[in-house]
Amino acid sequence: MSMIEIKNLHKYFGELEVLRGIDLTVDESEVVCLIGSSGSGKSTLLRCINFLEEKNEGEIYIDGQLVASKDINEIRQKVGMVFQRFNLFPHMTVIQNVMEGPITVKKMDKKKAHSLAMDLLDKVNLLDKADEYPAMLSGGQQQRVAIARSLAMEPKVILFDEPTSALDPELVGEVLGVMKDLAKEGRTMIIVTHEMGFAKEVADRVIFISEGLIAEEGSPEDIFDRPESERLQNFLGQILV
Amino acid sequence: MDAIIILFNNSIEFFKTVVEFAPKFIPGVILTLQLAFFSIILGMIIGLVVAVLKLTKYKWLKKVMNVYITIVRGTPLLLQLYFIFYGLPSMGIMIDSFPSAVIALALHNGAYISEIFRGSIESIDYGQREAARSLGMTKWQAMKRVVLPQAFKRSVPALGNQFIIAVKDSSLASVITITETMLLARQFGAATFNVFPIYFTAGIYYLIITMGLTKILSIVEQRLKVNER
Repeated sequence: MSMIEIKNLHKYFGELEVLRGIDLTVDESEVVCLIGSSGSGKSTLLRCINFLEEKNEGEIYIDGQLVASKDINEIRQKVGMVFQRFNLFPHMTVIQNVMEGPITVKKMDKKKAHSLAMDLLDKVNLLDKADEYPAMLSGGQQQRVAIARSLAMEPKVILFDEPTSALDPELVGEVLGVMKDLAKEGRTMIIVTHEMGFAKEVADRVIFISEGLIAEEGSPEDIFDRPESERLQNFLGQILV
Repeated sequence: MDAIIILFNNSIEFFKTVVEFAPKFIPGVILTLQLAFFSIILGMIIGLVVAVLKLTKYKWLKKVMNVYITIVRGTPLLLQLYFIFYGLPSMGIMIDSFPSAVIALALHNGAYISEIFRGSIESIDYGQREAARSLGMTKWQAMKRVVLPQAFKRSVPALGNQFIIAVKDSSLASVITITETMLLARQFGAATFNVFPIYFTAGIYYLIITMGLTKILSIVEQRLKVNER
């Protein structure tokens, strides 16, 4: 069953057409990695899915529901988002960050939200940091809290927008580790990433985006070992030196 | 030697007058505190509402708020006080002197405070709003739970400044017959012709109020700061 269905998606920033007709279907439990050079439109595509960017043309369905501005708060509850720069709430402790969505949006009672948050912090190995403020944490720890925060809404899909790009190299592994666990649990994930090793290992499908279009897609083996288009060959050549 | 004795006697006289008049100022100081308190509290409420309304998508609301800010910032507070107390009655609106002063001072402070709040709201990283919205929060929930608490923290230093201005500006209420500290000082001075120690005393009272306020605000600032980078 398809979890996300995107039909003929166009997005302009002023005169510039960033997405030029994207068609994409993501199945339940599928892990899709979006790769491509910067400015290719992959982050914009991700942000259109939960309406952080308003699309200009085309249709997006999530779990069968059309993404439209009037039900956007309902749809966003189904779609978790993890940002490059974490965007934790600095005035709340780690556990409060994780509890915030369930309490404010789902009106869950505090006790229940607390135990849910503790379970999730345990899952990302940060139980001992529950009462710290984000500023006290390393980048990798902050990103793991951000993942726990998005999991707290029990989303059907999680979108990752370059989740490791703002991290020091030695902290990348711990975040990717958590993401691998999520993939093993059978979560539906769309990941914009520059970590080709990770994409190769975890993705069910890799999509190469170039100049606002899906230029090539396939299994990690197809994309990395047998790239067909010249663009993808060039791109891989540049990053896999 | 004589000069020193005269100076000494004069100082004794001076401080005698200060001590004599200090208690007589209390009713005026209480009025100053009341004016400052109400104009700050109401000014904060007005400021918050105006700042939030200015950030909504409705263009006309933004325009209305800008007109308000332009008028308040572009005209003297003295004129605003005269307008409300002496001007409005000719349109059939009679307001007593104390509420008139509170209205004028609150509207005045509200305009400045709204700009303080707007600045600090806009200084909050847009990613904060995106993170809140992507959890499914409405715009208002994101504002209330995520943006405003952080913005408020950032506005404390500038607010402190505005509060001190509010205390001092309350002295202008004397022109619409409110016998707060400044008007009392003028009355005592006119009655005794001994203006120097009397204005000195009034000045000390203002300093005590503003220094107290500064102290309270720095405690608030410290408390709020604890956890932030």
